[in-house]
Amino acid sequence: MSVKYTPVQWNLNKWVYDAVMLVGVVAFLWLFLFVSPELLSHEFPINPQVHNARAFGACAFVMLTVILCIGPLARIDERFLPLLYNRRHFGVMTTFVAITHASYILNWYFAFSKSDKFSALLFANTSYTQLAGFPFEAFGIFALICLAVLAATSHDFWMKFLTPPVWKRLHSLIYFAYAAVVAHVSLGILQDQQNHVFTVIFIGGALAVAGLHAYAAWLDWRGGDEVGAESNGWIEICSPEDIKNGFAKIKLLPNGERVAVFNQEGKLSAISNACAHQNGPLGEGRVIDCLVTCPWHGFQYDVTNGRSPAPFTETVPTYNLRLTDGVIQVDPKANPPGTFVEPVPIPGWQEVPA
Amino acid sequence: MDQAELILLFAKIWGGVGALVALAFLSFGIDRLDEDAKGAYVFRPLIVPGILLIWPLVLWRWYILADGKDEWAKRYKPKRNSHNLFALIMPVLIIGIIAAGLSVRQTWPVNLAPVQLTEPGQ
Repeated sequence: MSVKYTPVQWNLNKWVYDAVMLVGVVAFLWLFLFVSPELLSHEFPINPQVHNARAFGACAFVMLTVILCIGPLARIDERFLPLLYNRRHFGVMTTFVAITHASYILNWYFAFSKSDKFSALLFANTSYTQLAGFPFEAFGIFALICLAVLAATSHDFWMKFLTPPVWKRLHSLIYFAYAAVVAHVSLGILQDQQNHVFTVIFIGGALAVAGLHAYAAWLDWRGGDEVGAESNGWIEICSPEDIKNGFAKIKLLPNGERVAVFNQEGKLSAISNACAHQNGPLGEGRVIDCLVTCPWHGFQYDVTNGRSPAPFTETVPTYNLRLTDGVIQVDPKANPPGTFVEPVPIPGWQEVPA
Repeated sequence: MDQAELILLFAKIWGGVGALVALAFLSFGIDRLDEDAKGAYVFRPLIVPGILLIWPLVLWRWYILADGKDEWAKRYKPKRNSHNLFALIMPVLIIGIIAAGLSVRQTWPVNLAPVQLTEPGQ
């Protein structure tokens, strides 16, 4: 939530998140480098460059696996939402770990010929027509470029500048990057791996990512938001009794937008379900003192006008609504972001004791 | 010039153009487009790597915003269906790739003692 951009908007939660992450990375590297080097097939004497390259590569894979599990886990069970909060820092650190892995590789395997090491990386193996011996380095290069794009565009400035939908599409590169990493490992180190502890970690991690994403997508497909029925140009949402005090009902509008209708102490207000920050689901947040908090990153909006409380400047569109024959109806044409709409009182409303 | 050198030349030209775009954008473009960036200079070096990598996208958004063609409604319309499509394609890819990797895995005798084929210096 920025008024003016700063390099990093630190708060206590982010400090704790980053500290835990850093301790995890150091512990992983320490374990793989010094405690159990045999996990990476280091039973035999091996030079430090290859030793380090494998440890950082394994660490980057595990970090990427954890990052990709967080999204579907948070959709399946909201108790995982705190992990989503600072996932971008996790991603940036993963990129640095992956760059370290690539640097060790470049400065060992490709550093002792007359050719430029970057050229050597590209032409050392060009057996692109066969699966066995395929130049798996190409998958690593592709994944590293994707990670670099994601890390370099992770500042809040980029979300506002590119718009959240475009930013999200750009960051969908993570899926292709992960598939490339799986190919990089499968056709690379897995071909030579003698100790199968890492093989189990690799296949287990990759299948966890695959399974969680498929399950979350299936849940979304099965229990996704319904399209509201149209009635004389207005869209029917539900009966007022169907919305608990402080919560919302989300409906899909015919134009593809999602509206969140809130019940705030017996008064109804409708705003866009998409947060201005990363298009998080505002309708899954709870209203307290007129302000709904986005469950993803904590951005807040007044549900009557779609504005963040001062000094913040984020806004979301609002919708006109009415009660007709005991049914809440929404005008599908959104008001410009930040437009005040008088809340509609629910006749005879009384809070039902919990 | 071989293909590897051509690829590296392309990367250098891409980065060079990106550097020029970064210089222009961060010097005068960004202040006209984003209220939150006015008077905020410390964060700008963090933006440079992104511009180097995706400068065509930066030029496109710069043009759209400067020309007043930005449609606010599009900001609030996330593409959930394409996200779910990626989420379904990726598991299939992962399983296929791992199966392919395991199918071509070869085994050979381990613990072979190294054999010196020639004398040093030969």
